Amino acid sequence: MSELYIDSPLAGVAEPQGLSISIREIPDRGMIDLRGLTSDPAFMAAAKGALGVDVPTRPRTSASWGDVRVLWLSTDQWLILSSRARAHELLTSLRDALNGIHSLVVDVSDMRAIIRLEGDGCREVIMKGTSLDLLDKEYVQGCCRRMRYAEIAALLDVVEDNVFDIYVFRSYAHYTWNFLCATAKAPAKLKLFGAQEVPA
Amino acid sequence: MSKPYRLSTGGRFVDRSKKVSFTFDGKSVTGFQGDTVASAVLASGQRVFGRSFKYHRPRGVVGLGSEEMNALIGVGQGARHEPNLRATQIEIFSGMAAVSQNRWPSLNWDIGAINNEFSRVLPGGFYYKTFMWPQSFWKHVYEPFIRRAAGLGKAPEGRDPDTYEQVHVHCDVLVIGGGVAGLAAAEAAAANGAKVIIADENPQLGGLADISGGAIDGQSLTDWSAATGAKLYAAENVHVLNRTTVVGHWHHNFVMLFERVADHDPALLSQGVPRHRLWKVRSTQVILATGSIERPIAFANNDRPGVMLASAARGMVERYGVAPGSNGVVFTNNDDAYQTAIVLKGAGVGVRVVDSRGRAEGALPNKAREMGVSVDTGSVISAVNTSWGGLNITDVKIASYRKGQGRVIKEAKAEADFVAMSGGWNPALHLWCHNGGKIHFDDKLQAFRPKEHYDKIVAIGAANGTFGLSQILAEAVHAGSKLAGSGNVHPVPHAVQADERPLEPIWFAPATAKYNEGNKHFIDYQNDVTAADLELAQREGYESVEHTKRYTTFGMATDQGKTSNINGLGVIAEASGKTIPEVGITTFRPPYTPFTFGSIAGVLTKDLFLPIRRTAIYQWHVDHGAVFEPVGQWRRAYTYPRNGETNHQSIDREILAVRNKVGLLDASTLGKIEIKGPDAAEFLDRMYTNMFSTLKLGKCRYGLMMNELGFLTDDGVTVRLSDDHFLMHTTSGGADRISAWLEEWLQTEWTHYKVFVTNVTENWSQFAIAGPKAREVVQKLDPNFDISHEALPHMSFVEGKLGPWPVRVYRISFSGELSYEVATPSNLGLGLWKDIVAAGAEFGLEPYGTEALHVLRAEKGYIVVGDETDGTTTPIDVGLDGLVSKKKADFLGKRSLEQEYLKAPNRKQLVGLLTEDPNDVLPDGAYAVRQVKDKPPMEMIGQVTSSYRSPTLGRSIAMALIENGRARMGETISFPLPGGKVVRAKITDTVFYDKEGAKLNV
Repeated sequence: MSELYIDSPLAGVAEPQGLSISIREIPDRGMIDLRGLTSDPAFMAAAKGALGVDVPTRPRTSASWGDVRVLWLSTDQWLILSSRARAHELLTSLRDALNGIHSLVVDVSDMRAIIRLEGDGCREVIMKGTSLDLLDKEYVQGCCRRMRYAEIAALLDVVEDNVFDIYVFRSYAHYTWNFLCATAKAPAKLKLFGAQEVPA
Repeated sequence: MSKPYRLSTGGRFVDRSKKVSFTFDGKSVTGFQGDTVASAVLASGQRVFGRSFKYHRPRGVVGLGSEEMNALIGVGQGARHEPNLRATQIEIFSGMAAVSQNRWPSLNWDIGAINNEFSRVLPGGFYYKTFMWPQSFWKHVYEPFIRRAAGLGKAPEGRDPDTYEQVHVHCDVLVIGGGVAGLAAAEAAAANGAKVIIADENPQLGGLADISGGAIDGQSLTDWSAATGAKLYAAENVHVLNRTTVVGHWHHNFVMLFERVADHDPALLSQGVPRHRLWKVRSTQVILATGSIERPIAFANNDRPGVMLASAARGMVERYGVAPGSNGVVFTNNDDAYQTAIVLKGAGVGVRVVDSRGRAEGALPNKAREMGVSVDTGSVISAVNTSWGGLNITDVKIASYRKGQGRVIKEAKAEADFVAMSGGWNPALHLWCHNGGKIHFDDKLQAFRPKEHYDKIVAIGAANGTFGLSQILAEAVHAGSKLAGSGNVHPVPHAVQADERPLEPIWFAPATAKYNEGNKHFIDYQNDVTAADLELAQREGYESVEHTKRYTTFGMATDQGKTSNINGLGVIAEASGKTIPEVGITTFRPPYTPFTFGSIAGVLTKDLFLPIRRTAIYQWHVDHGAVFEPVGQWRRAYTYPRNGETNHQSIDREILAVRNKVGLLDASTLGKIEIKGPDAAEFLDRMYTNMFSTLKLGKCRYGLMMNELGFLTDDGVTVRLSDDHFLMHTTSGGADRISAWLEEWLQTEWTHYKVFVTNVTENWSQFAIAGPKAREVVQKLDPNFDISHEALPHMSFVEGKLGPWPVRVYRISFSGELSYEVATPSNLGLGLWKDIVAAGAEFGLEPYGTEALHVLRAEKGYIVVGDETDGTTTPIDVGLDGLVSKKKADFLGKRSLEQEYLKAPNRKQLVGLLTEDPNDVLPDGAYAVRQVKDKPPMEMIGQVTSSYRSPTLGRSIAMALIENGRARMGETISFPLPGGKVVRAKITDTVFYDKEGAKLNV
């Protein structure tokens, strides 16, 4: 029998050529889906105990503690990010802490594909697929939100000023990758606002 | 003369040091960089650009920009061809191939022009009147004929080689139009800190400023526009868009902009720059600075090539150094057109003015007279004469005129080879009206102006009916300042401009003959609608202007009445004795000018046309020759033909492998939903027809789900993971829908339930290992748990490891064979799949696809929700009333199922069918009839829901919903098929194979 090995959603995909930004898959992230009631102090305390940080309650925000990040998904749902290696331990401690408290903790590390976009012009590239105004001051480091991207559901995480992670359900990984390759082509680079050259 | 109309000097837009050669209808034309197709072809001495829609009359350039309705051309060859472009907007480049449209065999000699000779039998409403009957003639005779004879350009051939894209942008202020008003407004808004987008359809900013006369802060309008534009380009908070037409305005200031990114420069295209980009802009405020469009005047034969708008004649001289002719007449009812006379005179072109007003004493007329231009006031052009075929103007007739005059008695001939006409200016209200903006008629302007709008949109400058330069600037600065940031109003620049006297409306210049006797007064050039057509429509009772529009086609199609609208209303008003406001206005619809399908599709073509979902095993399926079928957005392996097998042979092989040995199916697409909470069991009892609260830990149960109407909507197996924790399986297509359905009931109706629901479909790869040898394959995979029948019987569940792979194993079966469904996290799926294939080799394991799956389940009489059900099918109909709980207090659909008619015996019930001839496979959906007749109608008593050839049984099998079917067991019914064949089949039980289910319990 063979060894256990992992095939990430975009394993084996060809390195894209001629793009205005860099895109790559993040294959090794652990993800846990957490559901619970913010109105339940026991839940909030237990979650904090296990995660080291309060789960964020403000829409479209995230919270961090060490290498653990908690993304707000809805009023009773969070996505907890960690290294893949750490996810199992985190899952166990969350389940232990939440034992007897109304909640649902599921390992969803294999449910989504993550694509990292990096470079000047990332925002414009993403805006070719979503109606969000990524030039708005809301979209700074730590902001996360769900969006309609191209024709599918996606999750956007602002990692840094010019670094974004797009999360999509695993089965849409290639579709999303191909959409990015099509919209991020160097000759189609778009700079919104800012000084422009006066045409001849 | 090779370039008879190119003036020796002048032409602000052209660079005379750079010659550019292109072809028009295959003939080489040389122009200068900066020329449009219109200016370059006119400079070469050619005036005819196309033939008209209905009468095939020769037509030339009338306008200067997007208002052009005559000179529509096709540009580019083969797959890059784009039809119906306005020659006045197309910038030439070296090697461009442009063609005229709607002519055959050639521009100058067109056989369709015979329509013109017969025009007395082609009046308004001609199509409605003539092609009424017989009905069948419309499709086969009239329409093909009309399509060929009337029409615009041709579609491109082949697949488009270029790319297109879309982008969403938000801004505080969108300024539409880059003329004086737009520039001043954008500058003011930007200075107050607003994020501004300014879009203009032309390659350069300034609008008509360069041909409008006057000065701002001591600068010419041209210099002022360039300087203000430069500031906007440099600003950090402004995005300037050239060659960008705002095509439509919708609710909440959602505005669509069409940018021609690379059309003007093939070098850009070859670099891979998108050809067109569609901007979807959401703007807090919209400033409409779209300017105004000059009106033609309706006089006899006013469509002859060489008759153009006064602004176009002026623009040709000033922008391109092209004279519209050598000796012309400016025909006007206003002062503004005198600028054209002044410009023409200054350029050495012969010109006189005919003014319909009694007096012309403004600054501009006086200046023209001072320059030696002769002015006939109280006069009109009553007709234009041409050489044979209407190609060249030879002279015009000038007659005295006073308002209300019906016919000309005396007219004088004056030699001329062109006419520059101006009937005043209409504010360009199209975008204002797209989303319901109200307008009102301004008597002084004799035009409609914007009134109120419920969106945050404001019209300024000429678009608002404001024509004085100082007032335009005041409006613009005010609007731009007020809408943004501090709201501080910036100082208004100082403007000087020649004082203009008011116009006097003229909707129709009378001729000697009654019109339509050789004289046509065109109102809508593009649709070939004349003043006579509009009058006729009034006489025939088309009182509503919208009816007149449809009857005559006035104001329709790509042009949307840009130049024709008010003139047409004026004619209708005079014919009906109403005022123009009483006549009303037709609806302007998007787009303002046509835009391309390429831009509408953007990048969503080819492999991006539709989102495609792949399981973790997708590439393996591809590598092993799978044929795919769509299941929702998923692509699932349908079958794996090998060594030249047909699909049919391959499917049979896969089925027999499962029945006799073992098969492997990628079932990852099945919906998987985790449900947890103290009320989870009760919640499931309510969602399903059958009981789940009694389900034992580690056990599986098949459930039926109805909607509130009692109709089946989903089914699947649910597992109890712990006391308060379940895992629900849904159909492949139902995962997202059922997940949302569960959330809806929890969030909106049963809010007291403590239950959480998380859709984990995509986290798991899931495979069915099915067949008599399934256990041996699983055993070979080294399970760390007992897989014996005693430890893991049918409908039970275990979590553990197969070798290194963490798995959840369900003993559930959709094939009727011994079956283990094995789930592992998706990123491990491919590895496990390959191990199963390897482990199964010695047992003859074969992967099987969805078609084998369907045949296998049909042999067992298992239903598929969506095949055996159609949204109006109940559990009773499909014979699963045993799964409808009698004990539960309530569940979705319970009450509906109590309704008499849902229990009535004459409902269609699911039965099996065995055809008399075992080789006959009934088509899916075939109708059963009560009695076969020679021809329809026949009374239908049901339909086939699933039908296959079963290799296991060596004959065809089918299921059908048949009226009162269960009471008709053994009866033979008839299925008349298209073509006359009648297939007879015996009604049977739905289970064709292993009726007692012995194969499951091994």
